[in-house]
Amino acid sequence: MKLKMGCAFNPFSLEGKNIVISGAASGIARQCAISCSQMGARLILLDMNEEGLQETLSMVERPDEHFIGVLDLTEKDKVKEIVALGVEKVGKVNGLLNCAGISTTLPLNSAKEDTLDKFFKVNVYTGYYLTQEICRRANLSEEGASIVFFSSVAGSYGEAGKSIYGMTKGALKAVAKSLAVELARKNVRVNSISPGVIITPINQNLPHIADPEKRAVLEAQHLLGLGQTTDIANACIYLLSDAARWVTGINLFVDGGFTAR
Amino acid sequence: MDTQKFIDLFAEALDIEASDLTVETEFRTLPEWDSMAYLSIIAMLDEEYEIQIENAEFKTLKTLNDIINYIEEHQ
Repeated sequence: MKLKMGCAFNPFSLEGKNIVISGAASGIARQCAISCSQMGARLILLDMNEEGLQETLSMVERPDEHFIGVLDLTEKDKVKEIVALGVEKVGKVNGLLNCAGISTTLPLNSAKEDTLDKFFKVNVYTGYYLTQEICRRANLSEEGASIVFFSSVAGSYGEAGKSIYGMTKGALKAVAKSLAVELARKNVRVNSISPGVIITPINQNLPHIADPEKRAVLEAQHLLGLGQTTDIANACIYLLSDAARWVTGINLFVDGGFTAR
Repeated sequence: MDTQKFIDLFAEALDIEASDLTVETEFRTLPEWDSMAYLSIIAMLDEEYEIQIENAEFKTLKTLNDIINYIEEHQ
């Protein structure tokens, strides 16, 4: 779906902006790539799933303008190498969406050290490494940039079995706040976004969505129903755009009213 | 001690070009020098040279050569 603009005034435009998106092979990140390209951005799309990245590239506007990088984002040296290649093709970076992440539902007594390590590496370290790399002078636009960490309502509100996922998502909110303070002098804005439950091609087959009873419970928790990937992509467009030029250090709930009660 | 390696590490910590630095550079006059840069250098000295330096001592150092001499004296 292309957004139709009724007039030339558009503070949400991403024309002339180069945006890095991690985890772009599927789900919300894929939609962010599509939406950002529709708003005029050039993209550096990162994921370890090459097939998924190619599919995303086939769905965005002006596919020839963008760069895809296949890598394991937990490998810091590889992140450095791929970001440099992306910047060489697309240009210095104006925005970063740290979307890559994994989820689980695991009770306290089942959590092993390996699981904790894995979740912190994938959900927290990857975004941190990528942010470090993007903020280097060689990669960062002279105009500054907008960085968004993908937290979750689970980072602020409790749910049985979500302690591991929730603590990594809570960490991302904290990272965004401190980096907002640290990087303001470079005109880099840093925020986090906390989606409620979003229906994606992957999770629509998982029990909490596919089972009608469980889905009904979730729908009752979200006053406006479950979300779509475009709901999050649109919020990201706002945070990436100049419309949010005075917004830094916030955690934006986009959750259909989940946190309103 | 490898002087060029130190200059490279210093430049990397401040995210500036090593070619802009010499041992005579008075690092506090660099536009990039601020409290965060100070912390980056303290961390680099600890990690790369196992040097822990007190703030009062660091304040007496003016040039990169002063830091190099400090490292050589305390390693």
